[in-house]
Amino acid sequence: MRKFREALEAGEFLVTAECGPPKGTDLKEMLKHAKELFGKVHALNATDNQSSVMRVSSLAICKLLLDMGHDPIFQLTCRDRNRLALQSDILGAHVLGIRNVLCLTGDYVTAGDHKGAKPVFDIESAQLLQVVNSLNNGKDMAGNELKGSTDMFPGATVTPEAKPIEPQLMKFRKKVKAGARFFQTQAIYDVENFKGFMKEARKYNVKILAGIVVLKSAGMATFINNNVPGITVPQNLIDELKAAGKEKALSAGLDIAARTIRAVRDICDGAHIMAIGMEDKVPEILKRAGI
Amino acid sequence: MIISKQKPLEELLDAIKNNNSFFLVGCSECASLCGTGDDAAIAEMKKRLEEKGKKVTGGFVAKTGCQVLGTKVELKKFKEAFDSAEALIIMSCGAGTQAAVEIFKDKPVYTANDTLFLGNMTRFRVFDERCSLCGECIINKTGGICPVTNCPKGLLNGPCGGMNNGKCEVDREKDCVWVRIYNRLNDLHRLDQMEEIAEPKDYGKHTKPSALTGKKD
Repeated sequence: MRKFREALEAGEFLVTAECGPPKGTDLKEMLKHAKELFGKVHALNATDNQSSVMRVSSLAICKLLLDMGHDPIFQLTCRDRNRLALQSDILGAHVLGIRNVLCLTGDYVTAGDHKGAKPVFDIESAQLLQVVNSLNNGKDMAGNELKGSTDMFPGATVTPEAKPIEPQLMKFRKKVKAGARFFQTQAIYDVENFKGFMKEARKYNVKILAGIVVLKSAGMATFINNNVPGITVPQNLIDELKAAGKEKALSAGLDIAARTIRAVRDICDGAHIMAIGMEDKVPEILKRAGI
Repeated sequence: MIISKQKPLEELLDAIKNNNSFFLVGCSECASLCGTGDDAAIAEMKKRLEEKGKKVTGGFVAKTGCQVLGTKVELKKFKEAFDSAEALIIMSCGAGTQAAVEIFKDKPVYTANDTLFLGNMTRFRVFDERCSLCGECIINKTGGICPVTNCPKGLLNGPCGGMNNGKCEVDREKDCVWVRIYNRLNDLHRLDQMEEIAEPKDYGKHTKPSALTGKKD
């Protein structure tokens, strides 16, 4: 299963979604959602202790997704692993047949449920991309020869709605230079702003998937603004969710997601849907977006 | 300077519960500036210990408590007072306390303080951390501002995705250090320095415990 890279290289409009590993060993719900998305997405990301909340390992979930026939994207953060663990997990992913890796720095530990954990951050996202490319070329970070290299397709993230944007764009250019081949962006709510970002991104030979974070209520949007690093839901969308009323808020949220996908469809290379607990709604969003 | 903070009295009383008489040692350097090891702090500690039924046989402010030989010499004139104490309470940093441990081989030595960080004093007894003593200074490339210390993640290559309106993901009250570095390099017309990918740090350069012999032959 190499759907993602093949479709990317063929220039198709890419659709990826996020699969949040559960906290605990009961995988029924997650696997049910993954099954519903079969044939509807090019790849599924398995998040890595998302928001610093301890969950099933992203590597294990990637293997299960692969066995189901999905093409998984292995999310790998530098928060919980030093350079030995990162490299050994990338080799591990390769030998299990996983071929896509999203290189992340990771949220800080205090965002999550183990606030006293020792934050690692031995290396960081741009350096991790360099490491993936080095392992692909048969050498580890210390320059030692590998007995068999990896064949991992490296991706990264970028926050087009960051303010100020200039330092973020500098980091984006570093990630491109470090070998990122695709970017799954942080949530996009301001399409005009995203157009400006795409003008910069189009200078480089990388594919950009617009991040879509699905909102189900005004309360959830406010919670995100207060608790989730890197995402800001604008007031006009919060008002739209509020105006929809309790019963129709979710439908309004799905409309916002679908509308954003339609709006970015012609200006970027794909959409990455982060449904945060509403994975079952992804097929409906795609339907409303006309995909 | 080394920033220290006095431990809660209850915690100190629990640590010293097996002893009844003490000699107190402060430090005229950092701990005095922090107010944790000056004459006033020693007098206050004496009072509080006596209120709890403990005996204080004496005390003094060492010139530089982490300087083992100097402190040993200074202590000579207090021999009678410390000999008559069962134990010592050191009111400086962890280094000063361990200097006393080396000097007082046959007595328990307790610390009254928690040692926090290497700090800058910005106003009277207001401190912040700007250097983490990492052993491999990179600030010549970051406009003289240390991201290893000022970024909670110690990022070397720019802001993380959590930066919002120029503020830090971890503490919304604090400016993102990478925005500060960007602005400073922009002012200095040295933004080119932000385009280079910084190499991973060599943590082999700071294997604990560090030691240095700076003596010239």
